[in-house]
Amino acid sequence: MKQLILRLLAIYQKFLTAVFGYGSCRYYPTCSEYAKWQIESNNFFKALFFSALRVLKCNQFFQGGIDYPLIKKDFSFPRLSRYDNKAIKIKYWYIPKDNDSFYVVKFFEDKELKK
Amino acid sequence: MIDKLNTQQRVILATVLSFLFFVGYDYLFIPKKDALQTSQNKVSSQQTHQSPATTQKEAPKTATVSPEKNLHEEKIISKIISPRFDIAIDSLGRIEQFTLKDPRYKTKTGEALKLFNESFLPRPLEIRFANTQINTEAFSNEYSADSTEVELNKTPKTITLTQKLQDLIVTKKITFYPAGNYIAKISLSKPQEYFISPGFRPDVIVDGYTFHGALIKEADDTLTLINDKDAKGEERFTGAKIAASSDRYYTTAFYNFDKGFDVAISKDENANPLIFVKGAQNFEIKGFIGAKEHKALQGIDPRLTDIIEYGFFTFVAKPVFLLLNYLHGIFGNWGWAIVVTTILIRLALYPLTYKGMVSMNKLKELSPKIKELQKKYKGEPQKLNAHMMELYKKHGANPMGGCLPILLQVPIFFAIYRVLQNASELQSAPWILWIEDLSLKDPYFILPLLMGATMFWHQRITPTNFTDPMQEKIMKFLPLIFTFFFVTFPAGLTLYWFVNNIFSIAQQYYVNSIFKKKKDIKA
Repeated sequence: MKQLILRLLAIYQKFLTAVFGYGSCRYYPTCSEYAKWQIESNNFFKALFFSALRVLKCNQFFQGGIDYPLIKKDFSFPRLSRYDNKAIKIKYWYIPKDNDSFYVVKFFEDKELKK
Repeated sequence: MIDKLNTQQRVILATVLSFLFFVGYDYLFIPKKDALQTSQNKVSSQQTHQSPATTQKEAPKTATVSPEKNLHEEKIISKIISPRFDIAIDSLGRIEQFTLKDPRYKTKTGEALKLFNESFLPRPLEIRFANTQINTEAFSNEYSADSTEVELNKTPKTITLTQKLQDLIVTKKITFYPAGNYIAKISLSKPQEYFISPGFRPDVIVDGYTFHGALIKEADDTLTLINDKDAKGEERFTGAKIAASSDRYYTTAFYNFDKGFDVAISKDENANPLIFVKGAQNFEIKGFIGAKEHKALQGIDPRLTDIIEYGFFTFVAKPVFLLLNYLHGIFGNWGWAIVVTTILIRLALYPLTYKGMVSMNKLKELSPKIKELQKKYKGEPQKLNAHMMELYKKHGANPMGGCLPILLQVPIFFAIYRVLQNASELQSAPWILWIEDLSLKDPYFILPLLMGATMFWHQRITPTNFTDPMQEKIMKFLPLIFTFFFVTFPAGLTLYWFVNNIFSIAQQYYVNSIFKKKKDIKA
């Protein structure tokens, strides 16, 4: 189910955004991107709920702007390190807002730093 | 090979491919009305009788039919003549044919429209007994009618059909109403288990993308659809309120909203659903045969309008249809009703669009800064996006329309599409000039061309900012792609989109002029 939704989102982002008018979202990340991040980091139903809420808020009566997904996650359980000690590939940063909720921010590789 | 093409070539290729797809689809999957009717006539010329037996206590199964053909020749024992339709009753007490005489339904050859394919069984009001012996006997003995021809004008008329079997007398007392509905009272001289059918669905327009098959409104008001070729033959419903067999525009249905009835679905060799209703010694059922027209059905019983099925989108399509229907009542033309609907939808969305367009123009003033950002974050659209958002927030302007208004358009668009496809009122509904049927494609492709042109025009006058040159190219080709898309769409839908574009253009010019004035004052 999760995979299906992600696949649909990918198709939407690739083809349909162009049809419906590219770049019409009032937010960063865009609604579809937001939904993607939500689904990949949050409980499935919560993700659907928040994504729907986001789409509903995406109209001219709302200011828009930067709006990262906010999720609740429990990090108290110790994480296992990888058996091969390779560096993990970072996809999202969970930036703490308060004790138990985090902003989801996508990690972009910085081209400047690599040089 | 595709990798070598540049973006423009790819877009052209995609356009050509999609065009070919639609033309091909149109050619292969959309049955032509004429062809269908001629095939129907061919089949009906070989009229024979079958005596389908039923297994005990179960729903009748056509698999167990003993094909005793040519038991006797087809004979019409009674006719009901009304100004709007003719009904022919055959010698087995069934409705053999229902002919719609309204000029609206005339076939292209100018004949009145016959709803049923006479080779399909069961026919409306066909009785099948659970007891095989009685069933066979019933299918080889003729009914007699109390009158051979009944004229039905303003008042309902009743005919009585009687069948005398060895030790059973079957009486069907049918009261026909001028609107196309009837009440059938069946009484047996002694208790005997049997089923009665509203008949195999009309066979006038059957195509791949509108519903045809059986529709059951269950006791709890849920609607269950059984598509042709999908029947399991084991579906059972107790206390059902409606059981209808429909093609795209026409239906034959049983209904009873007070008491309900028990339905057993059987299937034929193609897994098409056949509706059977369990009878009793003294049994009464209401029925309707005719076009699924909202007004007609509402006149008989408002709850009957549930027979009109728009598919998955019924919940949006029905209100859209009611709005169109209301406007049609005022303007008397479906084309104008569509135009006015477009205006009303635009008006409802106006506060949103206006706000959006105003801020869209503020963007022009920010454009040097945007260009700077674009240079800085070339090839990283997500990152660029983030910085742009920051910029907008700083200046209190957000140029984007938002996802909601766009996503709202989609269901409305689909709803109109479904209404054009399914509403029997809209078949061969003309508009002005060359548009003779809004539910079919524009024969001269003028509306799609106009649609594409207005779309292009709207794009030209709308200030845009693209972060990605690829996207910009796609946008530029969009009017062209849409033109091809709309070529095969119903003219009514193209009309909707065209009028919608005109309003977008007008609105844009208005906003543009306001800004020009403001700037002039500033300068």
